[in-house]
Amino acid sequence: MYRYKIIGVALFLCSTGLCAGAPSVSGTVTGADGRAIADAVVFVQGPPEDADRPRRPQMVDQVDKTFVPGLLPIVVGTSVRFPNHDQIHHHVYSFSPAKTFELPLYKGEEAPAVLFDKVGVVKIGCNIHDWMSGIILVLPTPHFAVTDGQGHFVLEDLPAGTYSLAAWHSLSKVKPEDTVQSVAVGAEAARVSFRLPLSVARTRPGVHGARAQP
Amino acid sequence: MPAAFARYRWCLLLLCAGPAHAQYDVVDQPSNLWLRALVDVRLAGGGPAPSWTDSGPGKMRYGGSTGYDRVTRVGLSQAALQVGATLPWDIRAQAQVNVEPDIAHGYHPWLIEAIVRKEGGDERRGWGIQSGVMNVPFSLENGGPAWTPEFSISTSALDSWLWEDISLAGLEGEWWTTRSGVRLDALAGAGYGGDQIGRLLALRGWVMGDTLGGINGNLALPGRPDRTDIFNERDHKPTVYGWLSVEDEAQIAALKVGVLDNQGDESARSVWHTHFSTVGLLLHPLAHFDVLAQYLDGVARVRAPANDSALSAFYALASYHYGQHRLSFRYDRFRVRDLDGGPSTNENGHALTTSYLIQLGLRSRVALEYVWMSSHREVFGPLNPTPDGWQISYRFRY
Repeated sequence: MYRYKIIGVALFLCSTGLCAGAPSVSGTVTGADGRAIADAVVFVQGPPEDADRPRRPQMVDQVDKTFVPGLLPIVVGTSVRFPNHDQIHHHVYSFSPAKTFELPLYKGEEAPAVLFDKVGVVKIGCNIHDWMSGIILVLPTPHFAVTDGQGHFVLEDLPAGTYSLAAWHSLSKVKPEDTVQSVAVGAEAARVSFRLPLSVARTRPGVHGARAQP
Repeated sequence: MPAAFARYRWCLLLLCAGPAHAQYDVVDQPSNLWLRALVDVRLAGGGPAPSWTDSGPGKMRYGGSTGYDRVTRVGLSQAALQVGATLPWDIRAQAQVNVEPDIAHGYHPWLIEAIVRKEGGDERRGWGIQSGVMNVPFSLENGGPAWTPEFSISTSALDSWLWEDISLAGLEGEWWTTRSGVRLDALAGAGYGGDQIGRLLALRGWVMGDTLGGINGNLALPGRPDRTDIFNERDHKPTVYGWLSVEDEAQIAALKVGVLDNQGDESARSVWHTHFSTVGLLLHPLAHFDVLAQYLDGVARVRAPANDSALSAFYALASYHYGQHRLSFRYDRFRVRDLDGGPSTNENGHALTTSYLIQLGLRSRVALEYVWMSSHREVFGPLNPTPDGWQISYRFRY
C-alpha cells in the first residue's frame, strides 16, 4: 500500500512539471525541405560563462582513423583530451580562431588536454590523414542538446525564465545568431522548432587498406 | 594546404563580420581539390667511393668525389608536390610529382603516383579499387608524407629497391574485413611497365637511400654510361602481384606477405623475368616501441647477357618514439648471387643505421642519420667501398 502511495505522488509531481529532470524545452530541427536533421545543436544563447570555472573534462578519441565523436559540443572553459587509440601516429591540429592548437605526432594518451576558453566553432584535423575531421562546438552556456535521428531535442533542467535559443549544424547555411528564438520556460514544458537550410555534405574520401599511410 | 587555406579564409571572414557574429561563422566545407608539398634539403657526407647516382660503386645516395675523396654536400634531396581531388561518387584522385636532382640527373620531374581510387565500407570492413600509376604497397618503411621513410632518412636496402625500381600502370583490387579480433586485408593487382624489374639489382646491386622511382624516370648504373628505365614494357605481359596482411584488432602485431611476378618473356630481348616474395612483421610491443622486420627473396633472369641472379635482403628495425622524437636502429643484410656464370653479379653486404628524427610543429622536421656499411661486389674488385655516411635533413611540409 505504501509503495502505491509513493508511485502516486511521483506521478503527480511529474504531471505538474515539478519532478526533477522534467523536460523544460523540447522541439525539433528540420531542414528547408521539412526533413529531420540529426546532430544539430540547440543551445541557450547568452553571455559566455566564466571560462575559468572548473568544468568536467571531455574527450575526443581517435579510433580507426576517425575522431570519436565527430561532433563534441562543450561549454566554454572545458578541457578536452585527445587520446589516440590507433596504433599509428596522429597529429591533431586546429587553425580555427576560437582555438588554435596542435598536438604533434603521438600515440596513446600522452597528449596534454586542451582548454577551450573561447566560444565558437573549432574544426580539428589530422596532419597525416587528410580525411580525418571533427568539430568541437564551444558554447556560451551549459544548456544545450543534440538532436537525435528524428531531429528531436530536449533541453532539461532550465530554471523558469525567458531564454534565447539558437540552433547550429555543421552544414547550416545560416549562423546560429540568425536562428534565435525566444522561449518562456515555466511550469509547463515549452516547445520550439527550428528550420535550418543545409548545404550538401562534402567529405574527402579516405584511404584505408594497404594503401593507407600509417 | 586545406588547413592553411582555412586559416586565411577564417581571417577574411573575421575581418568582414562584426565581432558579435564572428564566433559562429558558417563552417566551411572541405575543398574538392587539395594540394600538399614537401621540400627536403640535406647536408650529407659519404664516401669515399662515388655514389651509384654518379655511376660509381658507392652504395648510398651521397658518396665521395670521382677521385675517391670524402665530400660534404649540401643540396635539395627532394621536392614533392601532391595534388588531390574528390571526384563524383566519392572517388579519390591523387597525383604526386617529385624532383630529386641527384638521382634524376637534373631537375626533371618524375611522376611518382597518379591514381583514382574508390572505396566502400569503412576501416573495419570494406573494399577498394585503384587504377593508375603506382608502386606496389610492399614497403613497411615508406609510410611518411609523400611516401617518404617514416623511421629514418634512408630506408633499408630492401625497401629502397622496392620504391626505386617498381612503377607500374595498372589496376588493383582490395578487400578487408575484421572478424574475431583479427583484421584481414587481401590485395591483388596487375600492371604494365615492369619488364626490367630486377635489372638494377643484377647490374648495380642493393643500395640504401630514399629514392622514389617515377614512371618516367631512369636510374644510373655503376661504371656504365646508360641508365635503366623504371617503366619498361616490351613483351606486353602484365606484372602481377598480391599482398596479404593479417593483424590483430588492437594492432599490436601484423604479418604481411607479398608476391610479385613480372611474367617477363625470357625469350624476348632485354626483357627480365623477375619474381620475388616478401614477408614482413610489424610489432608494437610497448606503447613507444615499433619493431619491423622484412625479408625478400627472388630471382631475376634475362636471356642475354648472362646476368641471371638470385636476390635476397633482410632488415630488422627497432624504433623508440616519444612525442616529436624518434630514435631508430636498423640492421640490413643483402645479397645477390650469380646464377649463370656470366659476368659476376655476386654481392654480399650488411649495414647498420642509426637515425634520430624530431618533428618541429606541423611543418618542419629535422633528422640525423649515420650509416655504416660493409659491402662486397665481385665485379668491383678493389674498388669495393666499405662506406660510412651521415646525413642531416631539414624537411618542410606544406
